[in-house]
Amino acid sequence: MPIAIEVLTSKHLLRIREIVGFQHPEYCYQCAKCTSGCTSAKVISEYKPHLIVALTKLGYIDELIKSGIIWACSECWKCSEFCPQEVSPVEVVLALKNIACMLGVKPPKAIQEMAKNVIETGYIQNPMNITTKDFELISREDLNLPQLKEPYKPDKWKEKLKLLIGGASNE
Amino acid sequence: MNKKFLLYLGCTIPTKQYAYEVSARAVLPKLGVELVEFEGATCCGFPLKGINKNAWIYMSARILALAEQYGLPVLALCNGCDVSLRETIFILNKHPGLKDEISKMLEEEELELKNNTRVVHTIELLHDTIGVKKIKSLVVKPLTTLKIASYPGCHAIRPTEIPRPENAKNPVKIDNIIKALGGETEDYPDKSGCCGATMLPYDAENAIRISAGKIRTLKDYGFDAVVTSCPYCMEMLDAKQEIAKSLLEDEELSIPVLYLTQLVGLAIGLKPGELGLDLNMSPVEDILEKIEV
Repeated sequence: MPIAIEVLTSKHLLRIREIVGFQHPEYCYQCAKCTSGCTSAKVISEYKPHLIVALTKLGYIDELIKSGIIWACSECWKCSEFCPQEVSPVEVVLALKNIACMLGVKPPKAIQEMAKNVIETGYIQNPMNITTKDFELISREDLNLPQLKEPYKPDKWKEKLKLLIGGASNE
Repeated sequence: MNKKFLLYLGCTIPTKQYAYEVSARAVLPKLGVELVEFEGATCCGFPLKGINKNAWIYMSARILALAEQYGLPVLALCNGCDVSLRETIFILNKHPGLKDEISKMLEEEELELKNNTRVVHTIELLHDTIGVKKIKSLVVKPLTTLKIASYPGCHAIRPTEIPRPENAKNPVKIDNIIKALGGETEDYPDKSGCCGATMLPYDAENAIRISAGKIRTLKDYGFDAVVTSCPYCMEMLDAKQEIAKSLLEDEELSIPVLYLTQLVGLAIGLKPGELGLDLNMSPVEDILEKIEV
């Protein structure tokens, strides 16, 4: 399939440049050092950070988002450490995730759930009763840990977070 | 040096990984650190970076602005919180435009962001602020019979562009602490590697394969236990150990996993109950026997 030239200057690509910040995806020369050290690639063979950078540069952003593969990144930053070109593939992947959410694609269920809780309570989850090896249920109170407080100015927190991440929460 | 710190727990520790909080609250005051409760602090935003990077920066910047009101350095127990706050400081210093934008959002909440808060992580607090000499002087139960692996976890090491508690090429601080406690340690393959926690929401089985591989390596190198300073690594290596065992059908995948604060606590004479060791899911009793606690 020929590549339409407009994808190379698409607004998604420009947006990626903006989200990535101080790294330089355009410097990538496909040495694949990132993939050779990638945590996720070791267990998910389709996940190849150098390929994701290449496809992003070619504008195949909708395709990458649709494939869902971007969520396989372990965010361990090894690719960034190994990269000789200041590309930081993990930052490209994060930008792709951000764009996916901007376009209304939902992140994996557990992340939706975390987003919902963060908006409501300030934390990714409520304090749990945890089970010990002897099947005893233990709470924060049982351990004499102080009760968790609500966020500073909870109404402002909710209002802002709803705007910023509400679309990706599972409400 | 003033050893008064704002205790920033993040999300995972105060909602699930209680052993870290219990042991930090028990051990650090014994080492001369005063912990101050951080009222109104929330999630640092790290787990939601994929949804919206600006939301993450706003969340971290809000923590920093709240901390400025106390005028104290922040102690981040969690690797994720530590990297989140320090990367935010780094980014906002580099991008005045973004800093103005975030500052405006915070002004609406009567918060001012000077962006000059000092953030330290548990590893640095123990190794650099308190120092191995002081820790060594307090040891009453030396861990002499034990070979313990240091596992700092990704975000104590990377991204390398910003100040991290451990050096990426040669992380040695946890090792130095283990030695100060009388224990033995050595390097092993992929010591600065990842536990797989961030992959959990996408593919739980493969995420556990990553942590299982880590446990396999530790067994092959003959370690009696492994210590970490990250609640995510703990969750993957300790709480998911039984699942790793059955997933890989490998009964040998069993090793005690402890928080660094728990290990220090044991060596300076605190009781397992005071350190939340009954909350660890891995066979920590194996090492308790060896050091006769």
